[in-house]
Amino acid sequence: MSIVNYAAREITCKIVYYGPGRSGKTTNLHYIYGQVPAERRGQMVSLATQTDRTLFFDFLPLDLGTISGFTTRFQLYTVPGQVYYATTRNLVLQGADGVVFVADSQRRQLAENIESLQDLHANLASQGVDARTVPLVLQYNKQDLPREMIMDASELDDELNFRGVPAHVGDALHGRGVFETLRGISELVLRKLTATADAGAGR
Amino acid sequence: MKAAVDAWVEEPLLRFVRDARVRLALVLEASGRVLAQHGFTRSVDVMSACALAAAIQASSAELGRQLDGAPFGSLHHDGSDRQLFLGAITTPGGLHLLLAVFDDATSIGLVRLYFGELRGRLAAAAPARVASDAVTPALDEHFERDLDLNLARLFGRL
Repeated sequence: MSIVNYAAREITCKIVYYGPGRSGKTTNLHYIYGQVPAERRGQMVSLATQTDRTLFFDFLPLDLGTISGFTTRFQLYTVPGQVYYATTRNLVLQGADGVVFVADSQRRQLAENIESLQDLHANLASQGVDARTVPLVLQYNKQDLPREMIMDASELDDELNFRGVPAHVGDALHGRGVFETLRGISELVLRKLTATADAGAGR
Repeated sequence: MKAAVDAWVEEPLLRFVRDARVRLALVLEASGRVLAQHGFTRSVDVMSACALAAAIQASSAELGRQLDGAPFGSLHHDGSDRQLFLGAITTPGGLHLLLAVFDDATSIGLVRLYFGELRGRLAAAAPARVASDAVTPALDEHFERDLDLNLARLFGRL
């Protein structure tokens, strides 16, 4: 849930990058960290294992500046993708205002993508959250790999995007699609805030 | 005190900081959302500290449950120059956390003593949990323009 400080006109939103292990969630955050000036971001915190897999989460606070008169800050998190970190995944997901699902476009990873997407829905349900109401953006990562190894966007749409949410092709290692994905989820999260406020005002 | 999000936390935290003589203090929700802070100069540092404090609390609570049958209530780390105290506070609004950093101007005993008082004051002052849609801002309908501009600046695309 977003934090809104009316007195200071500040909004803080939590965005969680979700997806199977090695799909590129941490790479997305590393790219953002490298692009954004130091004064507009905090330190990137990575709690990783000795084999460099995310153990607990990665965390990157971003200052987006002023939007409609509100100083807007985003907290970007990743979850550990490996199946055995289910508890920490559920914990990091708590209170998320929006989710970026980073799918691995490799054909042989399709089952892992589907399993992770099901895991996302199960975790949201366990927290009493209707998954259909959570702003969600898909990123089809690793589209730089040879064509014969990967599924294209329309194939991945057919398999993963049953909600018809915005989807972006990506190559997070080189930055392709990272900005567009962040822009997409930012818009959905802020639009939901506005819609909720309008509904509240109409009561 | 800067950037206190919830007014009901402000006075009790200020009093705790003054009495216990800690350098940095944060009151946050168990999910990592900040309620009030003292001593931090950058908001992004506050967010990092909150995220890590929430993670420590979640890990240690689970460790406590597995080893001791119940979550640990507080943690203390004795560093070379500065020490860290993390304590859980149950209020009508849910579980909250205090993160305090202090040096030789005080002691862990005093911090624990005044943490007990803070816990009581916050439990008495905390409102019950409110519905999430009761506190939402009305952004301008053209907020996308600001969003695009700010993101482009952030990524050096202007």
